Amino acid sequence: MTHPFRTSTAILALSLGMAGLASAETVVDFTVAEYSSKTGPYFQEVADAFQAENPDIKINIEVVPWDTLLQRLTTDVAGGSAPDISIIGTRWLLDFASQGVAEPIDGYLTPEFKGTFIDTFMAPGVIDGKIMGLPVAASARAMMINKDLYDKAGATPPKTWDELYEASKKIATLPETFAFGLQGKEIETDAYFYYALWTHGGDILKADGTSGLDSPEALEAATLYKKMIDEGLTQPSPTNYTREDVFNLFKQGKVGTIFTFPMLIPQIKAEAPDLKYQILPFPEGKSKATYGVTDTLMMFADSDAKEAAWKFIEFAYKDEWREKFDMGEGFLPVTKNVAALPYFTEDPDVAGFAAGLPYAKFAPTIANWEEIADVTVRTLQQIYLGEVTAEEGLKSAAGEINKIRGL
Amino acid sequence: MANRIQKSVPLMMILPGLALAVAIIGYPIFDLAWTSLQDVSRFGKLTGFNGGENYAEVFGDPLFWESLWRTGIWTLAVVLGTLAISMPVAMILNDDFYGRGLARVIIMLPWAISLTMTAVVWRWALNGRAGLLNATLMNAGIIDQPIEWLATASTAFVVEILVGILVSIPFTTTILLGGLSSMPQDAYEAAVVDGASGWHQFRYITLPLMKPFINIAIVLNVIYVFNSLPIIWVMTEGGPANGTDILVTYLYKLAFRFGQLGKASAISLIMFFVLLAFTMLYVALVSRNDRDDAAPEEEV
Repeated sequence: MTHPFRTSTAILALSLGMAGLASAETVVDFTVAEYSSKTGPYFQEVADAFQAENPDIKINIEVVPWDTLLQRLTTDVAGGSAPDISIIGTRWLLDFASQGVAEPIDGYLTPEFKGTFIDTFMAPGVIDGKIMGLPVAASARAMMINKDLYDKAGATPPKTWDELYEASKKIATLPETFAFGLQGKEIETDAYFYYALWTHGGDILKADGTSGLDSPEALEAATLYKKMIDEGLTQPSPTNYTREDVFNLFKQGKVGTIFTFPMLIPQIKAEAPDLKYQILPFPEGKSKATYGVTDTLMMFADSDAKEAAWKFIEFAYKDEWREKFDMGEGFLPVTKNVAALPYFTEDPDVAGFAAGLPYAKFAPTIANWEEIADVTVRTLQQIYLGEVTAEEGLKSAAGEINKIRGL
Repeated sequence: MANRIQKSVPLMMILPGLALAVAIIGYPIFDLAWTSLQDVSRFGKLTGFNGGENYAEVFGDPLFWESLWRTGIWTLAVVLGTLAISMPVAMILNDDFYGRGLARVIIMLPWAISLTMTAVVWRWALNGRAGLLNATLMNAGIIDQPIEWLATASTAFVVEILVGILVSIPFTTTILLGGLSSMPQDAYEAAVVDGASGWHQFRYITLPLMKPFINIAIVLNVIYVFNSLPIIWVMTEGGPANGTDILVTYLYKLAFRFGQLGKASAISLIMFFVLLAFTMLYVALVSRNDRDDAAPEEEV
């Protein structure tokens, strides 16, 4: 006896297979980094809309979490099954480009299309004069304060590091409250320090390419953080606090000041709607700075569907889609038309983050960046824990980084 | 001649299976050794031999030696701790008591949860401000200030070892329980008649008879624990300041964060040989002991 269901499935499978053969469509594999739970559905929507217009091209979306994305792409490339296009962290682009994995897109990029982007965000994607990828997401960092805590402690929102220190002293006297949320664990522990490094006038690399960690500015920044830990102005034991842990304390209303990204705003609105916060530029030392971070849309050199992939890219960068993406994920726009929308110029939250863009610093596009960041994180943790003094730690870290860079 | 053919027949019969096993187990190791001698791009492309430079880099790296040392402590502490707890647990579960079936299920349950999930749960439980452990200890009045368990390497590593022990107990208890249930009861009855105390029964009957099971538990646990990534990776990623890095977490960072696949495969091969050496040494030690134990009895 044959089960009727099985027979019909077989016929269905057969007919589907034949349909597939008949249309001979081009498949574009697109690996998408998961920014939030909205990312996957958003890109699927774009793909569906594109496929409706281009029935001969199939966009195959695969959503991969950020934590495993680099490992995933590494094994895909090594195994010869790389996607056609992928979102990547711009800091990885140099590695991809220098190994011949990334396809230069100068030949595809028309002047009109290129003109839609904000120039600042195009720059990190240029390697050896060739454009290796398009900016797909951008954010800048800023300081966020809890207004209630500041009012309660009688502190004024700080403009300089000295003012932040004084305000923190007042807030720290409130019960069950930490004045300054300091990250000391896992991803971007180094970024939390770069904010202070840059605003004190230092930089990750000096003009001659050697590490800037042994500069007096870096020492000043690290000493300040350590002093705040020792005086109880931060939450205790920062080395147990990841970025998310610090942000969670802030959402609970227990922290006066944090350094954060725009993506926190939708989270606060959903999880702590009563929290009164304000976005401010980073405190100034010798200079103004913010950390600009971009992600890149990259095409793979061994893709066999470059034309189709590019067609999809042009489609996905239409204003309507970019607006939906940037607003949904809480990013700053990378294209001029979206940046001109009232939401991005008038909303105080978004404008607060966007204000820093003219003086934004980017992570340097240099080889072995992840390893250099790891050395920096390790050193910062040792300093925060008191295992080494700031001076010794930074000096040996700079030596190690210079060695990694072959200088 | 006929005799020789007859002798070689069994060998011939296991030869295909043996060849398959060697190919399946041997090929990756060969490939690893091959890779470890070359310059490798971050995408696994081999770009030529560099004559042991990967090994020189590994041996010149203080983090490697620290991780190796810590791997030893980690393996020893977890395996011995597991045995010390599993043995009495297995003995209790071997006794007949009301609700034994349920008790056995409860002991085995953690096994059903993936290591990664267990580690994630512990990471939350150990959170300084929001963690359940601190909340419990503070409510019970044992501590009056929350402890940041994972903030320093020393406490984090101890906590990780304890979690490692916890997750190894079900497997070890199963092995030991299997051994205990095959134990001859008449030996115990005879011992009771001779007036042996509970400790004497354990020391002179249970322990010697359990030896093969304890040995297998030690060897298997050493291999699992030595290679175990999830607990440490999820809870601290080897931090703070590389203070909880063991070889496998260090290897993972090298390979998938820094893209140094050549150096990573060198460490991987070193780990393989460390384990191989341990296993061979241990098996040799055990079989020699068995012979020594057996020898006087033959004289009697």
